[in-house]
Amino acid sequence: MRYVEKISTDADSFDDDDWDDLRAHLSEDEIAELGMFLVGNLGFHTFFGSLKFFPMFAPDGRLVSQEESMAIYGDKPESLQGEAAE
Amino acid sequence: MSRLAPLELDQIEDPELRDLTAQCVELGVPDELFPRIIARVPAQAKTLLGVMLELHTKGTVDHQLKEIIRIQLARFVEDPYFSALRSKRAIAEGLTEERIDAGCDDYEDSELFTEAERMALRFSDQLFLDPDKVDAIFYEQMREHWTEAQIMEIGTFLAIYHAAHLFMKTLDARPLAAA
Repeated sequence: MRYVEKISTDADSFDDDDWDDLRAHLSEDEIAELGMFLVGNLGFHTFFGSLKFFPMFAPDGRLVSQEESMAIYGDKPESLQGEAAE
Repeated sequence: MSRLAPLELDQIEDPELRDLTAQCVELGVPDELFPRIIARVPAQAKTLLGVMLELHTKGTVDHQLKEIIRIQLARFVEDPYFSALRSKRAIAEGLTEERIDAGCDDYEDSELFTEAERMALRFSDQLFLDPDKVDAIFYEQMREHWTEAQIMEIGTFLAIYHAAHLFMKTLDARPLAAA
């Protein structure tokens, strides 16, 4: 979780200590897998956030309009709210 | 070379993954290092490399423009690995370092770009730097120059490569040719 947070918000500060911390808990295969997961997801949060579309279903399983979905889930992903606050 | 050691080529047993790695080497982006690192997880590596190659070399958006966009993004996050790589196809088609530098810096005033290309460069420049600027008005301006399919093509390309640059930056990787 620390790796994901750092790569998302402050990749410049990622250093050998961070790497050693990561390696203490994850194998190299697991780090490669985590990296690919990030590549497949990280940028899309920002891109899709800019397109302003929202989940089709409410938490209770109802099909809802985009307006209602925005009211339920908020008009911006949590990750981008943090980015905006900076 | 990289915090995460790449596999040796002969350790990659999956023929499809070996072929995708060869396609990367032929294009030059990524070079052999990135596939050899992610080859530790073959099934996912095949999917990711396939998507990266598809996004960069197929579609209806000009390959040279995508290469400039990719380098702009890599320089933006100061990733030395992807910043240094060049698409051999784009170079063969005539892409110059002058046009790359202009696309990364003064594309708004450069005569080397059409207005449509400037709009695409603005998209990549602002999406991760200041996503609030990529709003409904921005997408209306994009649609004056690009179809919705092309906007998705560019946006998906940006999303994948931006994150790949960040990943390789944390690995402190450098291109094999310069190692």
